[in-house]
Amino acid sequence: MTVTGTQLDDVTLVARARDGDAHAYEQLVTRYEGPIYRLALRMLANAADAEDVTQDAFLTAWRQLGQLQEDAAFVGWLYRSATNRCLNVIRSRKPLVDGTPEEHAAPGPDGKPEQQAETSAQLAALSAAMARLTPEKRACWLLREVHGRSYDEIAATLAVSATTVRGRIARARAELAEVMSPWR
Amino acid sequence: MALSPGTDEYRLPCGRDVESLWEELDAPDEHGTSCQHCQASRASLQLLRETTAELVADDTEPPPGLTARIMAAVRADVRRRDLLELPTTEAGAARISAQAAATILRFAADTVDGVRARHCRVELDATGAVVELNIAVDGRTFSHPALEQVRQRVETAAGSRIGWPTVTLHLTMTDIFEA
Repeated sequence: MTVTGTQLDDVTLVARARDGDAHAYEQLVTRYEGPIYRLALRMLANAADAEDVTQDAFLTAWRQLGQLQEDAAFVGWLYRSATNRCLNVIRSRKPLVDGTPEEHAAPGPDGKPEQQAETSAQLAALSAAMARLTPEKRACWLLREVHGRSYDEIAATLAVSATTVRGRIARARAELAEVMSPWR
Repeated sequence: MALSPGTDEYRLPCGRDVESLWEELDAPDEHGTSCQHCQASRASLQLLRETTAELVADDTEPPPGLTARIMAAVRADVRRRDLLELPTTEAGAARISAQAAATILRFAADTVDGVRARHCRVELDATGAVVELNIAVDGRTFSHPALEQVRQRVETAAGSRIGWPTVTLHLTMTDIFEA
């Protein structure tokens, strides 16, 4: 039997990519570019910026594979890199008038603003509410509630304690729920 | 009642904390079912939970061509050094990149049932090719003869496909996987 056509596990692919096997790395890119792009899109509300962050995160990861201590840690490492890139992009943006975060919602590839592409009114309301969270709170909430990353990993990503992460997620949830009120 | 850190500012007029409502969302206590503030907040939290599930299920794809752009940058970055000499009877030299040789040898190891090649490093010394190969094996089907099969197939591939007649293979089983 050959493994052609078989899905190889991440650790095998990372070990091969670390040896310089670009084909193995391409499979990792195909597997994780979707989640990383969606995280960046939710963080930045801008398709072009999200694409840049995704591309940078994967190219840097490729260059630094030799420094990765544990092959199994690759995906967490990718999330960490992408999250910090998003936070840097937000910091480098010009300060906005408070309460107008949607200005960053540039038209998507189909010419429509991304927020119009949301599949439901609630999802659009949630996206608008997320844009009003501080970037750090938004990152904590997205990584935990949407991408299922662990508290410890999020804490390491943001260089804060796991208790701080739990606090930020709780506050994010309260703020989002307030906007999501069905009677509004 | 255990309060989550830093959520005191999200206390309802009745004294309940939003985070404790979240924790008891599907099983409110007596106060929670009768209190208007708790009912309203619980409805909001339920809506948030439903909408979050929509966000989790959202499969917005990256723009077409992103994989190709990432891989073009990656391939441009692949080290071109680490070239290994191939035996040739012609005047000009023939070389193979260590990565390409490793790919061929890993593929040979992969053809053994229940074996996945991982790290593979190829060098040449005075005796010929020296290959360091780590493999993961299927924990349910692995048996010792598979290692000999890996050895034979890697050596055959090195000889017939790359052209190195003598191979010293250091084979290490580093992991178990379950297919």
